[in-house]
Amino acid sequence: MTDLAVETRNLGKRYRASWALQDCSIDVPSGRVCGLVGSNGAGKTTLIRLLAGLSRPTTGHATVGGRPPADDPAFLREIGYLAQDVPLYRRWNAADHLALGAHMNEVWDQSVTVDRLRSLGIPLDRPIEALSGGMRAQVGLALALGKRPRVLLLDEPVAALDPLARRQFLASLAAAVGEGDLTVLLSSHLLADLERVCDHLVLLAGGRPVICSDIDALLASHKLLTAAARDTTAIEHHHHVVTSVRTPRQVTLTVKLDGPMLDPAWVVHDLGLEEIVLAYLEGGSVPTPDHALEVVR
Amino acid sequence: MTWLLWRQHRSQAAVAGAALVLFAVAVLITGVHMAHVYDDAVRNCPSNGACELVGQLFRGYGAIVDTVHLTIAVPLLFGAFVGATLVAREVEQSTNSLVWTQTVTRRRWLLSKVAVAVGAALVWGIAVSALVTWWSGTPNSLYGNRFEGAQFDTQNVVPVACALFGVCLGIAAGCVFRRTLPALAATIAGYAAVRVAVAVYLRPHYLAPITRTVAPGADAGIPPGSWTLNSALVDPPGHVITGRLGIPDPCVSAPTRAGLQDCLTRIGYRMKVTYQPPSHYWTFQWIEAGLFVALAACLLTFAVIRTLRHDA
Repeated sequence: MTDLAVETRNLGKRYRASWALQDCSIDVPSGRVCGLVGSNGAGKTTLIRLLAGLSRPTTGHATVGGRPPADDPAFLREIGYLAQDVPLYRRWNAADHLALGAHMNEVWDQSVTVDRLRSLGIPLDRPIEALSGGMRAQVGLALALGKRPRVLLLDEPVAALDPLARRQFLASLAAAVGEGDLTVLLSSHLLADLERVCDHLVLLAGGRPVICSDIDALLASHKLLTAAARDTTAIEHHHHVVTSVRTPRQVTLTVKLDGPMLDPAWVVHDLGLEEIVLAYLEGGSVPTPDHALEVVR
Repeated sequence: MTWLLWRQHRSQAAVAGAALVLFAVAVLITGVHMAHVYDDAVRNCPSNGACELVGQLFRGYGAIVDTVHLTIAVPLLFGAFVGATLVAREVEQSTNSLVWTQTVTRRRWLLSKVAVAVGAALVWGIAVSALVTWWSGTPNSLYGNRFEGAQFDTQNVVPVACALFGVCLGIAAGCVFRRTLPALAATIAGYAAVRVAVAVYLRPHYLAPITRTVAPGADAGIPPGSWTLNSALVDPPGHVITGRLGIPDPCVSAPTRAGLQDCLTRIGYRMKVTYQPPSHYWTFQWIEAGLFVALAACLLTFAVIRTLRHDA
């Protein structure tokens, strides 16, 4: 079994009457860049905050970097976290934030972090409130990376950025991943942002995980099947049908294959990641864990 | 943590430090001068006959007198600007999630911040109280009463305890409201309400007052510097007369005020005076200080537990 960077079992969080996250059991292997997608309110922020130890679960448990989230240096040194909207001290400059990182962590890469910001042309001596959104996000990322975490938790870091800044941010992230043993969990409601950098995907819908899978395996196992109108019982028996569209003349199925597709009557098409995700979101039926989760271990 | 605390609070410390220095200079200069003036007046009054000093001597000193009396608000300033913002501003701007995911634990962060705020309140509280207490030596000997209003609240240990109470109330309000403005408003309102309630409803009862019953118009023999709580006329059956006294029939024809007093005494009216003697002063100071320190400790414990248990 692979070393898991993030593991949750039945993780749930209730705010007053409503559940923000429920029955969340996911595994993210070490070294992955895992995209966390879902519409607004799907539970992405809740999950990331639980994993960062900023809030406490109502049910279930989690481990991040092999440790349960806790107010404990042994856990805190393993994670890097960047919250939504990149909170920083507005009157401070980037150098102050790096000094904060240096003073509040046992491990701190001052020179690497300074070089990273310099190479991006970010002034270290200007107050944060005078920097662009893209620059702020880069300062936030540098701060999170400077403590050399094993697991980096990023909550919608690019949501508010323009396309160029977004691309630069993701490039910085990819470079950091290339440099060392780092697992990233990155949330976004825009799949296109994630496709470029992620090799693993968690899809949340209505506070529950719908997909948790390697992206290549996801693409390999999900196909669009078309055929002249016919009975689909056999297919439903052997595979998991995510969506089906029937017209009097034709049947179109989005299917997660659980083995070879032998029936020659069906024409098999490849699917893009976005189509697969949309199929699950439209399908509405939450699949059983056997089918949807852990496509490949 | 030390670096973070210094970086975050250095400007507050500079402003508070500058204010304290200015205040100290003003108090020292005027304090020395006023003591001189008072001593001269006391020394010379037997020869020039101007011994009625109260209300005459420091007529031109309103500015410094008001400034010193306004130090009653020092704990409130600490509560509002140091206490209420301490946690609330971080939560409001989400910077708590930034700090709480560094390797320093939330517990250590919170306890360090609280220690600095409470320590600062203590140091400034002691400094201001020491200056005011020293400066007030002259007005105290002039006016005598150290129990009431600005005297009791700005001298000796009570203002120090109140500084602790103010800052802890602010911290607790910040932890509850998690936003600066509501926390500030709650601190100001809460502080004022508690101080007034304590001064009005509790302070007179820390120790049983002394009661003297004398003839109307006679000298009750209350020691100078006492805090007179009540002084009322009692009719012959022993009922306290509230409101206007209807002059009783036998005395209606009394020609003068003195005659009326004699007449009232003769038919059994008495004056009942209730007061706290000056010997109660230090007990009162310690009781009230203890009360505010206890309140501060409760608020602080509540704030710390709540912040550590609450989700970020």
